[in-house]
Amino acid sequence: MGQLISMGSFLVGGIGVELVYSFIIIVCSLMIYFATKEMDKLTSYKGIKYFRLSFLFFAFAYFFRYFIQFFLFSFKLNGILEFSPMFLGAISLFVFLYFSSMAIFFLLYSVMWKKWNHSKLTILLFNIFALIIAFASIFFRGISVYLVINFILLLIVLFILIVAYKDSRKKSKAGNSFIIYLLLSIFWILNIMNILVPRFLSIYQLLVYLVSISLFMIILYKVLKKTGE
Amino acid sequence: MEKKTKRGRLEIMKDVLFIIRENRNMIKITPLLRKSNLSSTRFQEYFLELLEKGFIREIESKKGKSISLTDKGFKFLERYQTIIHFIDEFEL
Repeated sequence: MGQLISMGSFLVGGIGVELVYSFIIIVCSLMIYFATKEMDKLTSYKGIKYFRLSFLFFAFAYFFRYFIQFFLFSFKLNGILEFSPMFLGAISLFVFLYFSSMAIFFLLYSVMWKKWNHSKLTILLFNIFALIIAFASIFFRGISVYLVINFILLLIVLFILIVAYKDSRKKSKAGNSFIIYLLLSIFWILNIMNILVPRFLSIYQLLVYLVSISLFMIILYKVLKKTGE
Repeated sequence: MEKKTKRGRLEIMKDVLFIIRENRNMIKITPLLRKSNLSSTRFQEYFLELLEKGFIREIESKKGKSISLTDKGFKFLERYQTIIHFIDEFEL
């Protein structure tokens, strides 16, 4: 009975918010992915292909993010589940970090593919980096390791996006998508920190969620407007 | 086709398809090559790509081989501006 009450309150307060948040991001990401399917098929344009992949990976990442929360929650309720929630939680965390890193890398590549010629090598490197990040977060349990990894990731993404942004400004009429990508990268890192270090953002958690949702909604709106879907 | 000129590639594809459409959707290869302003090597690359992607088809008749657009080719032309605006908007 006590367990059921605790489960109910947790569903309303903790996992409920996570569920709604993850669900909105998954729906937005999948809508972006499917709305751009026809363009990708018609053109085989690399930028569109990697842009789509990025949002597909975002959808996978948030799916696993939800499962992490779910298993962390079940760990508190000993006896309800027969398998080891810690083990499943670790696997979910690993998959979440891999997909989330790949999502950001693909987004980066969708704007940089014209400059980076060796696409196979680049994608192989992305996979290696994503796996390193995922493994490191699983095996090194210190908060400082998480902070350093994510700080480096953030610096790399910001540097590349800012360089690309400056280049595009020189060349032609550029949209404001780079700013959205920059914000998305920053808030993505904050999301990761929020998962890895639970108390890191406890006060601002809701704000991070709201801004993240807004960014996805802005991108979805722009995609639907441009694709005429 | 080198990947660096992908944007140019889409434009050229559009131009070739446009020429076919403007010729009542039926044109022979030689005038198509001439009107497309491409070298024969590059034309061959684009021609094969358009065939492979199912944007155009070859039609055999007593007068010889002609090229016409498929439904997918018409669709590409119809969506071209939207696609270009999308690429610009998202800096892709």
